Amino acid sequence: MLLIAAPLGLAFITPLLGLLSERLTRYVPAAAMAFNFTLGLLLLPRVLREPWIVETAGLRPPFSIHLVAGPLGVGLSLLIALVGLLVSIYAIGYVREGPVAKYHTLYLLLLVGATGMVLSADLFNLFVFFEILCISSYALVGYRGDRAGIESSAKYLVQGAIGSSLILLGIGFVYGLFGTLSMADIARNVDSVTPMKVFISMAFLITGFGVEAAVLPLNAWLPDAHSSAPSSISAILSGIAIKAGLYAVARVVFTIYGADTMPMLVLLVGILTLLVGEMSAFSQNNIKRLLAYSSIGQIGLIVFALGLASASGVQGALFLVVSHALAKALLFLSVGYMIYRTGSMEISSLYGMGRRMPVSSLCFTIGAFSLVGLPPFIGFAAKFTVIRAALAGAAPLLTALVAIVLLGTVVEGAYFFRIVQGLHFRPPPEGAAPEQTDQYEAPVSALVPICLLAAIIVAVGLYPGVLTKYLGPAAMDLLDKAAYIHHVLGV
Amino acid sequence: MSFLAGYVQYIGSFGLVLIGLYIVLVKTNLIKVILGINLIDTGVNLFLVSVGYIRMGTAPIFSQAEAAGREMVDPVPQALVLTAIVIGVSVVALALSVAIRLYEHYGTLNLCKIRELKW
Repeated sequence: MLLIAAPLGLAFITPLLGLLSERLTRYVPAAAMAFNFTLGLLLLPRVLREPWIVETAGLRPPFSIHLVAGPLGVGLSLLIALVGLLVSIYAIGYVREGPVAKYHTLYLLLLVGATGMVLSADLFNLFVFFEILCISSYALVGYRGDRAGIESSAKYLVQGAIGSSLILLGIGFVYGLFGTLSMADIARNVDSVTPMKVFISMAFLITGFGVEAAVLPLNAWLPDAHSSAPSSISAILSGIAIKAGLYAVARVVFTIYGADTMPMLVLLVGILTLLVGEMSAFSQNNIKRLLAYSSIGQIGLIVFALGLASASGVQGALFLVVSHALAKALLFLSVGYMIYRTGSMEISSLYGMGRRMPVSSLCFTIGAFSLVGLPPFIGFAAKFTVIRAALAGAAPLLTALVAIVLLGTVVEGAYFFRIVQGLHFRPPPEGAAPEQTDQYEAPVSALVPICLLAAIIVAVGLYPGVLTKYLGPAAMDLLDKAAYIHHVLGV
Repeated sequence: MSFLAGYVQYIGSFGLVLIGLYIVLVKTNLIKVILGINLIDTGVNLFLVSVGYIRMGTAPIFSQAEAAGREMVDPVPQALVLTAIVIGVSVVALALSVAIRLYEHYGTLNLCKIRELKW
């Protein structure tokens, strides 16, 4: 409960603090996320034994609105708090222009929305937190108020608003069918109605949440929104916001409907998303658009892993969620100051950065290698888990699809290696600023989170066991419908 | 057509949703698109209310003894709609403020003329 209430309260106090002093507001998100992170760590051992149900208004589920802190929910909120903490440290120095107090308020609200989504046990509550996340990210995409930012914010807003309406329609159908909004209660009764009716409501919900999750036909907003936002926001959008949408889709499909008829479609959507994302990324000259398209590709891979619908597949998907959140946040953050210093997002203007901004470039390289899936980094362990899960059944079709996935990885490798080569081995473009190495590197407040992210990526890559022992229970939390119903309803 | 009479609120709500969707898809003026989003919201809200509605039903308040036996309207969808209206208003407010900023930058609200970002 405090995981949500504390940052939410702080978010509303922030504008008041802003009246007193602009400087003070910068430290609020960092403090809130540090609090969430420690609280999450304290909770984790407890919820691994048994999910913890938070009752509101003193009524047992299915009545009233309640939260469920299971291994998955607490694990994901830990991830959100970790990435949120590091990005907010980065933002202390990075966000200087514009209404700074509003930035931090909206930023905290975004994280509150994401945390609430992963902890909510009630369909409508999920929707409300989803809207908190969406509305604050619409506003943050247009934060700088420049042409590109406002345009992409408008695009994102129109598509997101329609997506939200579809979710609400789906919730209306669900309520009409089951007369309840508690996810466990719906899951218990889902067999009592005809499959067609279930399918309609599920289609509405998946399409609506799919807009935020940016699966293939619904991802037109993503490259614009992620590339026009300030870098710290791009990091959060790519690292956290899409994952929240994806979490909602997975929760609806696996826990509520217990679907095992969908996977073929899901696998194909995942593969298509992966291919389109990686191919589009390959042809980009704008570094932030490239990273945004690469996010689409990674989402495709995660969807593919979820579509396997086996325990090891979902475990791999969660592993990918963690690795992508860390690596993509690292990439956007390290590229943020490169863009700030050169004033251009063209890849060619970043050539020779390895000499002028050695630490940022090194960390960018680590993030890129991790995303591609080179061995000592976390991305390798994650991709390896997914591929192993896909090949476990030895079905010929899956083997063919894995080949396509690996092809996508090759494309990904091609464009990331091109950038890394440019960063380290090419001479800087003509007319670039003279080399004053100590002035050029990003400030300490930015380097600390960047280096921490890089260190985590390397550490978990070397010792994946630290993470995988939590991923198993988390995957079962998502897949094991009966246990979820049992824990929440006590039947 | 009398067999449709029991479903008239559903037909109306989905009609509103479809009209709104049509506006969003076809119109090029951003203000009209925002109006379309608003129409979709209204349709969805109408749908949610009608899910829990019973003809001649009363409010589920148990303070009067004689009312307790009669049919009552489900209050939960109405609570949902209350929340959904608030969310809808804030989305539309944000959309309108974005539209104002867009007009300041481009001098037009025609979405076909604003195309700097492409795939």
